[in-house]
Amino acid sequence: MAKPLVFMFGGVEIPLALSKVERADLYGFAEIETLDELGRKCQLATLADDGKSVIPAGGTAFASLSPEGHWLEKKTLVPTDNQGKRIEPVASSYAAPVPLENKVTIEAYLSHNIRAVYQVTDELAGPDFGPLIDELKRGTIFQFPYSFRGGVEADAGFLLLSAEGTPFFAVGSPTKLEFVGYEQTAGVTEDQADGEEDAVDFGMM
Amino acid sequence: MGTINLANSKGRDAVVGAQTVASVMKVRWLDEQGRQVSSARLMKSDLAHDLAALESKAGGRDRIAQMLVEGDPEIDAENFGAMLRETSRVFVDPDGKIVHRVRQFEVIRNPDGSERERRPRQIMHPNAAAEIPLKWTGKLFRKKDVYNKFVFAGKRQIVHVNGLTYDFLYGMARELETAESMMLLGAGPKGNQPLVLTRGGQQFRAFLEGRTQGDKYCLIMHLSNMELKPAPVSAAAEGGKDNA
Repeated sequence: MAKPLVFMFGGVEIPLALSKVERADLYGFAEIETLDELGRKCQLATLADDGKSVIPAGGTAFASLSPEGHWLEKKTLVPTDNQGKRIEPVASSYAAPVPLENKVTIEAYLSHNIRAVYQVTDELAGPDFGPLIDELKRGTIFQFPYSFRGGVEADAGFLLLSAEGTPFFAVGSPTKLEFVGYEQTAGVTEDQADGEEDAVDFGMM
Repeated sequence: MGTINLANSKGRDAVVGAQTVASVMKVRWLDEQGRQVSSARLMKSDLAHDLAALESKAGGRDRIAQMLVEGDPEIDAENFGAMLRETSRVFVDPDGKIVHRVRQFEVIRNPDGSERERRPRQIMHPNAAAEIPLKWTGKLFRKKDVYNKFVFAGKRQIVHVNGLTYDFLYGMARELETAESMMLLGAGPKGNQPLVLTRGGQQFRAFLEGRTQGDKYCLIMHLSNMELKPAPVSAAAEGGKDNA
């Protein structure tokens, strides 16, 4: 089972078990199989600049280098914003109970791109879960900062009830939606063709 | 910014802008002296030095340990650590040789991993900015009923490109806001196909939401490819997914 996330609601700590739900769990998934002329399975790899070194998956690494080109350990680096102001790292949401205080509207929730959802179960919470479920049944959406392991920036976490009545924890990122007026006419350019992505069998509704 | 061909409730259509709205935090990393660091991609290993190559050289996996004790056969001192700049993606066969002619198949699997179908790979073509506009299906879903029914993984903000399309889109946003609803958008001649925004991209169901503020508007196309519902018990039992 995944690590439980502890919430604070009504002065009570409530540990909730999380189980990630992915598209593949609901509808299945598609794999791309590549075969050569002899029908043998092929793997995707990277051809280096020299034109002869073939690098398999996992054969590259990202490095941080000083202006002189020396290797730098990531833990010695200081994160700053584009104004040069130091960014204070956020702690992991599993380090302390997460207070459920901030309630948001449906529009605020819809203004986020949701990248992961977890089904919430009360197997660890016991009777303390009842009042929280009652609040969620009223259509309340709780929002809180969420970071799994701590880092530069926290994602937006939401606790809400699905249309079927199952509590879910959703992780998302805010978007830069803005109201546009008549004067803010957009300049349109043709889309560049993106790299190919795996087509996903879509079986919804 | 991309374009999208959209029709309103009166059947009028126009090509308008569709811009991404993902907000990415820009972080600059500084070293201990306050100087900006740069990133580089380095080579760690290649096929000529991986496990299969060593096994072939040693004459068996159980003999690799002795090779490692006697030397460093897994390291190419000349190339490992080299910066990578202009690389290419290639396919290699089981012998590690680059392949130039390939056939691709899609293997469709059930949630439990069993194979459901196997077919030649089909590349989905974009259909949001095609000649046939995305239809105003009229299928309205109250916001309070739909926000927790689907997972909205992406968004595009629809924006006008001239004065006429300002009126066109403002009217749409106002209509949807008044109905407190989101409208299902469909592609294709019948307006019932999911959207594909890029060649080879995923298919999404799109829901249009409108908001206004005086003479300003915000028309949002929410993209979803899954419902917000629990996984079937068999898939959940096999999963035991960790947090991410």
